[in-house]
Amino acid sequence: MSDHDQFRELIQGYALGALDAQERAAADAHLASGCSECSKALEEARWLVSQLAYLAPGAEPSEMLKDRLLQTVRAEAGGAAPGAGNRRAAIPWWIWAGVAALLVFSLHSAWSARKLQDEIGILRAQTERQTQERARLQQEMVAVKVQAHEAMIWSDPKSVKISLPAKDPKMPQLEAMWHPEMGIVVRGWKMPSLREKRVLQLWLIPKKAGGKPMPSMTFWPDADGKFTAMVENPPEVMSDTQALAITEEPVGGSAQPTSTLMWVGGVS
Amino acid sequence: MFLAAFSPKESDEVSRDATLVHKLLRRDVNAFEEIYERHSRIVYSLVLRILRQGSTAEEVVQDVFLQLWRNSGQYDAHRGPFIPWLLTLARNRALDQLRLKGERQRRREDQTEQLPQIAAAAPEYERALDEKRRAERVRSLMNTLPTPQKKAIELAYFDGLSHSEIAAALNEPLGTVKSWIRNGLLRLKEGLQATS
Repeated sequence: MSDHDQFRELIQGYALGALDAQERAAADAHLASGCSECSKALEEARWLVSQLAYLAPGAEPSEMLKDRLLQTVRAEAGGAAPGAGNRRAAIPWWIWAGVAALLVFSLHSAWSARKLQDEIGILRAQTERQTQERARLQQEMVAVKVQAHEAMIWSDPKSVKISLPAKDPKMPQLEAMWHPEMGIVVRGWKMPSLREKRVLQLWLIPKKAGGKPMPSMTFWPDADGKFTAMVENPPEVMSDTQALAITEEPVGGSAQPTSTLMWVGGVS
Repeated sequence: MFLAAFSPKESDEVSRDATLVHKLLRRDVNAFEEIYERHSRIVYSLVLRILRQGSTAEEVVQDVFLQLWRNSGQYDAHRGPFIPWLLTLARNRALDQLRLKGERQRRREDQTEQLPQIAAAAPEYERALDEKRRAERVRSLMNTLPTPQKKAIELAYFDGLSHSEIAAALNEPLGTVKSWIRNGLLRLKEGLQATS
């Protein structure tokens, strides 16, 4: 029996899906060979097999099934069936209302956040200005207090005036006032500018033979060549001090003079 | 002769299916509803006969019609009439479900989403019978067969059994079962042709 004849014998079983694996493989191979007569016969056999569905006892599906299907189909159709008008919206109105409310809420939140940010920025700027102002006032208060202290030392009868002539005749003479309790104030005018990274340093020269100069504060003249320096707690008492001296030192001062004494004034 | 075989009313019924399926491509819900009204009863009857459980049958019918809705382009009117295509789809889905339930384990190789081609040029008797008359005629013709022969065909169609499995179930020789099925379907074909 040829493949063709064999297939015609199997064609009804093939259309039913009732062939065993080996027979089915043989049938597939024959169809794959391109036999148009058998392909047409198979189509008709499949149609015939589909008619067996009418052997099933008649039954009705529930209305719920139809409702479920139509609900799904309408939703997938995107709201309305073509030609059906607006029978049912795909998205209920309350969802749109919810979306609108969410949008308004989001916009309001964004606007509120922006407004709050602006207010925070203004408050931060105000705080910064107030801090700067307070620092400036504190500096002024300190300056006023220092000036007042200097003025008291300078004018108090207990203070001892000390002249500090310069070793270099081209340099101006400096003056100092030493109050036994309130400290020392040194003043100068028409001072030349110092070299870069150099400052002036005050020294207390002790009376004791062989005693080393006691280092005190450092200072420098302003742009007009003036300076006022005050030492509230001198490192030595007046009675033990022979003279005040000033040298030029590196920024930060030195433990012992590293240059010649430029100004020296005896303490009487 | 082909056109002369069916009345204007029956011809309209066949072309109506093709028109409705074509409208599904445009997402026409009304067309879908009309197709469901026209064919859900026979589809549900078939699926229920295979699965024998109403709730599961409705799930399968839902799947079948949703597949039609979502993939209506799979049906080609030039390759055959609509209702045999729909019934083949429903039978395959129901047999798949039967196997999923563990009631049948045999692997079915022709179960595919791409359905086999149904007769491109429908037989004359396809169009000569409306659904009710066709059901009566098919039942009448099958009732003329001896009971074991009818039973063999029903086991193959509704239970998805192979020739060998039917032979074992009916305790008959394999060759006898093959002949019963082949000859029974040929008699059905002749009977439907005679109807036209």
